[in-house]
Amino acid sequence: MTPPTSTATSTTATTVTTPALACQGLAKRYGDLVAVQDVGFSIAAGQAYGLLGPNGAGKTTTISMLVGLLRPDAGGVTVGGVDLAAEPMRAKARLGYVPQEVALYPELTGRENLRFFGRLFGLSRRELPGRIEEVLDLVGLAGRADSKLGTYSGGMRRRINIGAALLHRPEVLILDEPTVGVDPQSRNAILEGVERLVAGGMSLLYTSHYMEEVERVCDRVAIIDHGRIIADGTREELISLVGSHDKVELSLDGDVETALAKLRAVEGVVEGARTGGTSIRLITEGGRRLLPSLITAVDGCATVTATRVIEPDLEATFLHLTGSTLRD
Amino acid sequence: MRRALLTIAALELRTRLRDGTALVIAVVVPVALATLFSLALGGDDPPLKATVGIVDLDRGEFPASVRREVTASAELKGSVTLRDLPSRDAAARALDADEIGSAIVFPAGFSGSVGAGEGGRIDVLTSPRSPLAGVVARAVVDRISALVDARTLAVRAVLLAGVPGGQVKELVERNGAAGPALTLGGDPLAGGKVDLSVYYGSGMAALFAFFVVGASFRGLLTERKLGTLDRMRAGPLAVWVPFAGKAVVGFALALVSVCVTWAASVLVSGATWGDPPAVLAVLVAHVLAAAAITMLVTSRVRTDAQADGVIMVVSFVMAFLGGSLVPMHNLPGVLQAAARLTPNGWTSAALTELAGGGTGLADVAGPIAVLCAIALAAGGLAVAGLKKGMLL
Repeated sequence: MTPPTSTATSTTATTVTTPALACQGLAKRYGDLVAVQDVGFSIAAGQAYGLLGPNGAGKTTTISMLVGLLRPDAGGVTVGGVDLAAEPMRAKARLGYVPQEVALYPELTGRENLRFFGRLFGLSRRELPGRIEEVLDLVGLAGRADSKLGTYSGGMRRRINIGAALLHRPEVLILDEPTVGVDPQSRNAILEGVERLVAGGMSLLYTSHYMEEVERVCDRVAIIDHGRIIADGTREELISLVGSHDKVELSLDGDVETALAKLRAVEGVVEGARTGGTSIRLITEGGRRLLPSLITAVDGCATVTATRVIEPDLEATFLHLTGSTLRD
Repeated sequence: MRRALLTIAALELRTRLRDGTALVIAVVVPVALATLFSLALGGDDPPLKATVGIVDLDRGEFPASVRREVTASAELKGSVTLRDLPSRDAAARALDADEIGSAIVFPAGFSGSVGAGEGGRIDVLTSPRSPLAGVVARAVVDRISALVDARTLAVRAVLLAGVPGGQVKELVERNGAAGPALTLGGDPLAGGKVDLSVYYGSGMAALFAFFVVGASFRGLLTERKLGTLDRMRAGPLAVWVPFAGKAVVGFALALVSVCVTWAASVLVSGATWGDPPAVLAVLVAHVLAAAAITMLVTSRVRTDAQADGVIMVVSFVMAFLGGSLVPMHNLPGVLQAAARLTPNGWTSAALTELAGGGTGLADVAGPIAVLCAIALAAGGLAVAGLKKGMLL
């Protein structure tokens, strides 16, 4: 785990690479309300970066500043090394922005929407038709391209919403909660599409308050709460913040006290205690792997009737860091 | 940037043309209303006819003078007829029955009262169904009023100087305040002589220009609601491009709307609006001012629905005060002064000038300059508001 970074470049042993997207010291307030304060992070080329936080944490405000919709009160943004404030057109040409709500024209067809934004974002008449087909294939809507957007399902609209941001082949794709309000099947289709983009080398900033999406798509995550980034790292680094021990809960039938004593003696068990009449909770190193040894250990004095292994995850990390769950 | 501008303008134009309501507001309604007014109010040489009733309870010099003057007036010959009526009630009944268009009531003792320096009161009865007769009656009474004022002042001055009462009348008349020698000043038909079909045609054009150009700026709020404006602003194009793309189309459509109304007025009723380049310049300046004002409205509201409501209210208030709905000369003095605060007032004044015999641009340079100044002032305020509301 690393603390929130404010560096504009990431280093390797021998080379310095320009981050695809970097921000430092971003701040925005509305009157007395501090929406975002001292937000900084850096996304390397090809990296999928998640911004995880509950509703109202400052994710959308941060993104609005990253794409130039909001002028920050402090701090700066660079896209591929280009300063957004100094050269907004050049910087924005490298960004693809997928807003939280579907931002397209319902009275136009999918193809017409893509044609409009493609022309707007600089694609020539010659290259536009081919690029539209590519994008339609990518988002799986080639068969519905000539239907009006108003007839699309929610999931289809979300997919074409992403497609419109891909037309000009951006280096960084910024997705602001792209799956809010869609059914599980559509969500899966969207996530698969995003995973394909990342596999293709696109840099990604993905915001969500769905833990499982961020865990699935992103290889680095920042946790944002009350406008501040409170942790930043890989999934494993973040999880290690709450410790590496798993919890194992056992329900026993038999001599529970004797069984507890035997379980404490098993290698890998750090601690154990009774949590109810016939229940025991163990703190272990490698809980699921230890299960056979634990069951064997109580043989003769008790029988294991139920087991539950609790492994640390981002949800637990979030709870540990903020004192609340993501859905609070 | 030109390509992005054209792309947005093309979509805006397509959206507006696809919307049948927009076409109706831009062309059908103003043309239909202008045509209706043309048919109802006549063409270039309308058969202006009016009968003015005279109720002479005075039997003195003033009513006699009015009869003499109206009968002798070259401007009124063939257009205005006088009809004697025995009483105010009889005049009111004749007015209700449309037998006369207006009436002037001289009360008993009016001439004597004026001769004694005590002033007097004349009543004018008018009907909204005969504006021409009303114009004539008021013109006559205005002139009488001026004479009465002069006579009253002179008599009081002579009395204060200590001249005996029996010599006052002779002294006043000998020194020029002869009283009932009435001369109608200027052209008493000035308010009714400009072809009313031109007046109302241009009024409709001026009113509907607000709706047509306002729809484009309102569209910015719709785009903000849809999220498409933010998507554009997050893209590689200058922030002013979405605004400009819509403004260009709104301005062009509004200009087409006013020009079509103008053309329809000319073709349907044969009306003459005056020197075409000057008329076009006035219309362009009006559309500019209307664009700036609706832009200002858009910059100060939150939703497109609010914009619809406020633009409608502003448009009708401007139209009413500016004489697009009611001829300015029919409005009270305060409202006529208020007309100077509206683009419609200046547009109406300029087009009336051109239709009434103005020769060209030089005659309407003042109103055009004022319209441009209104556009600049409202536009400047609007730009600040649009930036604050993230529409620009």
